[in-house]
Amino acid sequence: MAGKSGRTIQAVPQNSAKKMIFSWEGALVVLFIALNIFNMIISPSYNITNILREMPKYLAEIFMLFGMAYILVLGDIDISVGSIVCLSATLACVASNAGLPMVLVIAVCLLVGTACGFINGIILTRFTELPAMIVTLATQIIFRGIAEILLGSGGSVSLKDTSGFNALAMKIGPVPLVFFLVVIAAVIFTVILAKTTFGRKLYAIGSNSTAAYYAGVKVQKVRLIVFTVTGLLAGLCALFLTSALFGANTTTGQGFEMDVIAMAVFGGIATTGGKGNLVGGIISAFIIVLLRIALGQINLNPQLILVIIGALLIIAVLIPGINNAIQAKRKMKSA
Amino acid sequence: MKKKVLSVLLALTMTAGLLVGCGSSTETKTDTAKEETTEETTEAPAKEETTEKKADEKTDDTASADGIAGKTFAIVVKSAGNPYNQKEAEGFQQIIEANGGTCIIKEPEAATADAQVSVIQSLISQGVDSISIAANDENALQSALQEAMDAGIKVSCLDSKVNKDSRSTFVNQAGTQEIGQALMDAVYDITGGSGQWAVLSATSQATNQNAWIDAMKSIMTEDKYKDLELVEVAYGDDEPQKSTDQTQALLSKYPELKVICAPTTVGISAAAKVLQDQKSTVKLTGLGLPSEMAEYIGDDDAHSCPYMFLWNPIELGNLGAYTAMALVQGDITGAVGDTFEAGDMANSPYTLTDAGDGGSEIILGAPFKFDPSNIAEWKDVY
Amino acid sequence: MEKKSVWKKITGSREASLVIVLIVLCIIVEILNPTFLSPTNIGQIFRNNALTMIMALGMLCILLTGGIDISITSILAFSGMSVGMLLKYDILHNTFLLFLIAAAIGLVAGGLNGLIISKGKVTPIICTMGFMYIWRGLAYVMSNSAWASGEDVAGFSDFGKDGSIGPYVLLVLVYMIFFVMMKWSKFGRKIYAVGSNAEAARISGINVDRILTSAYAIMGLLAGICGALSVAIYASAQPNMQYGKEMDVIAACVIGGVSMSGGRGTVVGTFFGALIMAIIAKALPLVGIDSIAQNTVKGVIILAVVLLNVITQRVMDKQNLERREM
Repeated sequence: MAGKSGRTIQAVPQNSAKKMIFSWEGALVVLFIALNIFNMIISPSYNITNILREMPKYLAEIFMLFGMAYILVLGDIDISVGSIVCLSATLACVASNAGLPMVLVIAVCLLVGTACGFINGIILTRFTELPAMIVTLATQIIFRGIAEILLGSGGSVSLKDTSGFNALAMKIGPVPLVFFLVVIAAVIFTVILAKTTFGRKLYAIGSNSTAAYYAGVKVQKVRLIVFTVTGLLAGLCALFLTSALFGANTTTGQGFEMDVIAMAVFGGIATTGGKGNLVGGIISAFIIVLLRIALGQINLNPQLILVIIGALLIIAVLIPGINNAIQAKRKMKSA
Repeated sequence: MKKKVLSVLLALTMTAGLLVGCGSSTETKTDTAKEETTEETTEAPAKEETTEKKADEKTDDTASADGIAGKTFAIVVKSAGNPYNQKEAEGFQQIIEANGGTCIIKEPEAATADAQVSVIQSLISQGVDSISIAANDENALQSALQEAMDAGIKVSCLDSKVNKDSRSTFVNQAGTQEIGQALMDAVYDITGGSGQWAVLSATSQATNQNAWIDAMKSIMTEDKYKDLELVEVAYGDDEPQKSTDQTQALLSKYPELKVICAPTTVGISAAAKVLQDQKSTVKLTGLGLPSEMAEYIGDDDAHSCPYMFLWNPIELGNLGAYTAMALVQGDITGAVGDTFEAGDMANSPYTLTDAGDGGSEIILGAPFKFDPSNIAEWKDVY
Repeated sequence: MEKKSVWKKITGSREASLVIVLIVLCIIVEILNPTFLSPTNIGQIFRNNALTMIMALGMLCILLTGGIDISITSILAFSGMSVGMLLKYDILHNTFLLFLIAAAIGLVAGGLNGLIISKGKVTPIICTMGFMYIWRGLAYVMSNSAWASGEDVAGFSDFGKDGSIGPYVLLVLVYMIFFVMMKWSKFGRKIYAVGSNAEAARISGINVDRILTSAYAIMGLLAGICGALSVAIYASAQPNMQYGKEMDVIAACVIGGVSMSGGRGTVVGTFFGALIMAIIAKALPLVGIDSIAQNTVKGVIILAVVLLNVITQRVMDKQNLERREM
């Protein structure tokens, strides 16, 4: 199996320990710890109670990271996820207000997300010439557009009965339920990507889809599954976002796609496909979220926070490039 | 040498890796331990600061009311990079700081309810005493604001309200009915009492704009306005480009159009530019910032807008600050009929009235008319 | 026989299908609202969408190299805001100099993108995403919550006034330069070469890094100019200007048949793509579609045109194959 995607799953054996520690993930762990110390110094309100309280909204976003990571590994991209969140949340609220029991409301929310993801997938696999960027750009406009039509002139819908969604927002001890779900999802998705045949197929497609196809991987089927699952995850995000907002409006989920892509890329997942793993993505997601929380607590101008995140992103992707350049020079010299 | 550096790094990352481990539980545990200690150490200086501030207040501001010094008041505006919001926040800050309180101005990352929820959560973490918010959505902030109230924070809103369960009271810039009436009369006056007119609004979801348009529509059923025909409500989404497209579309769709009414600051200036550039006979009125509209206000044919309305965002901020202070001091609870003093503001003392949604509101005053005679004076103010 | 081959040539070109789409669109809108094809409206279509149309050319260069740039509207906001603030605080009022400054800002920002992408081997979407946050954020910080309004930019905005030929001249000039550059200049051909096969281009002696950097610098230059143009046309500088419109620019290119994987696309195609986007923007409020549904309709049209492109391409390929078999 490893042979098919030899470029990415590099020969593991020799100096694997060294590699692991000097890997991007190792650096991220160091950064994570440094950041927490930094945050504690700058913000007196940065403590575990407050973090757990501020986190659920961001945690909901992290669900989509898993799907996005898979899509990026495939070498694709999906910029419609924010709009899928909007449409799912809207329909969930409409369903809840129509008096459906909570179980059905959850089902509606997840089904809508899945359906949207499936639509993306089916267009992309039927018209393989089309880049994912442009298709999901169009569906981004359409999904949010449908939500706008449903929401009508008020532009927002609020839950009449919040009890069901309150249950979703519940806490086990001080820790919100969504935290555990994110952890469970993180483990599942990380293991699938790293340890299963399906995960290997993703890397194979991302590295060279033609080669993967001739090696017997059903490329289009895999892509369809991944886009559909991403839709499902967006539905899940919508569910927990609704439990924080008690409603939905036309701006729900706006800009989430960029947040999620930034998390994935910061975690070492390349948009060119075939590279990176979810461990990095998850650590970097927490780095970005905690940084935002701490900088928010010291009332830094939110636009400056975006400048900082933008700069971090560029630095993060520049480091491997520079590193490679240095190594290449060294090789030249020794040769 | 190199190897030594490497091994040191190795060891460092190893221990770091161990600390964080594979499970998140250990990681959070170390965090709590660290944070508890920092919390304790930071609490002490914070207390010192407040006592210092109290001392300051007593020496230089004897007029200030007790119980404001050392308290923190936050204002959350609708969006960043908007002069109207900026003036509102400045007005708020001015009063709070004159009374010895600490003021935090919070701009959300984007003009969405999502972003405002994060801001409110952050303010709860900081343990502020009062939050005054101009909401981007009437209902979506409910759970966040209720959490704030449960934490003992006084919540009021200004400019754009939240529902009655999420607030103590609402500082309204002017009665919805009054704004509708003023705009409707302006349309009546400029058209000469009959003809076609159109509305150019912000987004189709903007709460304030929709309320004002609804008020205008209901006023229009009166006999006096029977010759006026509202042909369309267009939405420019508060984007200059889209507002321009929409204004031009109105002009080509309705050649008989006489007046456009734009109750939004971005829309009105975009429309004003279109009309003035085209030397159109269609006239404009609505709600706009004097500083943005100075170029277009005038009685002659060379100017597209004879007059328009707005309230003073600085005074709105002032009143918001007085309301927040009154709530924190316990002078008012948010019940209809409560009264409080608002410094040297024109209509002080203010009384809380029924907002029509089951909650209470405080009305700043009637909308102010900007015409060629006073625009020069106001354009540098806001 | 002769006739048939000309006919084949016309129907065979990608631009032909775009022209058909364009004509069909215009006819539909014209039926729904007869004022649509009036000279004023046509003028407004070009003026109101001059920004998208100009930036689409820069995007063409970048897509040809196989890259993408989503920082353009942030660069536009930063340069536009700079122009606005220079005017507001009475530092500079010379229209030409202001355009020059805006262009320089854009050039530097674009060049920075290009250097990081070519020398640092960073994926374009990520590098430009970082700068998308950075330039937009700096525009906000610079504005300090103030706008430059109609009065502040009074003399300057005459350039973009309704009735002024400024935007049209700029538009025609830029399109002419690009048409010549992409078709006949060495630089233009090198961009195509890099996009089709970077490795082959490198081996044949093309300095790929330099071409890449130039492509992004050109994009930045155009975005910078558009910043000043935007201030002139709308007589207003706001830090959130043109927010999210980079997607319209990319959509315009793709509708115009520019391939996102590089190497394929023309100036003429881009022009038609941008024109289709412009007509959609202009027509939606005119034909009386409920404003709430306008976004959905826009998205559906974009998707339909893009799919149509693919289908015609497939038919063309099939025809070519059949001909070869014969």
